[in-house]
Amino acid sequence: MDGQSQFVCLCPQMSLAQRVLLTWVFTLVFLIMLVLKLDGKVQWNWFLIFLPVWVFDSILILMLAIKMAGRCKPGYDPRNGSPDLRLRAWYLTAMLLKLGFCLTLCAKLEKLADVKLTFVFIPLWTMLLGALVELGLNIFPERREA
Amino acid sequence: MLFSLRELVQWLGFATFELFLHLLALLVFSMLVALRADMFTPMLSWWLVFVPLFAADGLSTYFTAIVSIRLYQENEKRLAVLRLLWVLTVLSLKLVCEVLLCQKLAEKEQAKDLWFGLIVSPLFILLQLLMIRACRVN
Repeated sequence: MDGQSQFVCLCPQMSLAQRVLLTWVFTLVFLIMLVLKLDGKVQWNWFLIFLPVWVFDSILILMLAIKMAGRCKPGYDPRNGSPDLRLRAWYLTAMLLKLGFCLTLCAKLEKLADVKLTFVFIPLWTMLLGALVELGLNIFPERREA
Repeated sequence: MLFSLRELVQWLGFATFELFLHLLALLVFSMLVALRADMFTPMLSWWLVFVPLFAADGLSTYFTAIVSIRLYQENEKRLAVLRLLWVLTVLSLKLVCEVLLCQKLAEKEQAKDLWFGLIVSPLFILLQLLMIRACRVN
């Protein structure tokens, strides 16, 4: 069994360089805005600082939704690629958990909600635990083969 | 999600196990940050909070050294040197960023001149290197 094939790429028609460029642009803009805010050069709202994160996550969720909607086409056999659906459902959950974490973090930083940092981190921890399980499942079959 | 695991391993140059290690370190680190912020335990200094990240960097370096030695013994000398150089560059940039951030947080008064632009600068360099590597891998 090829453990690495368990991970599904959402957008195989884009080349790796194009996908990297997309990620790179949003990460760079977010880092620049974060540094400007932390150094006190701009007094923008934290929700505005996280704008690249919202846009990037929206693009990913949209791509995921389109892929999942493709399963509703007439004549699609749901028995084909059922692990795909499980993975996509997990990706969607992970994206929503990440969005939840960023939203609560922004609300805390803007002092809109007086919540403990532990509660803010709960969606992130859930997402990280899920990612660790997924990665673990990809590591151990390889070890059994070795 | 946007990348398959195979692409991530090729692009970042880290093995799956190393990615697992860094994610685990991030999880423990975020738990310690929450503990430090909410409980405000004076016993838990910022240097202690950053220990999981430093440990992951150390273990990753050790793992890379072993893989490179094995590659070298199997006569894959070019691959061994390239892998060692790449991983050490990435890990050292990450480590510099972590140490500077930890110093800023731990010594608020003495580290006033240490602005965040300087702390994040290794990450900016890393981003450029990752972009160049993506073009080569592509």
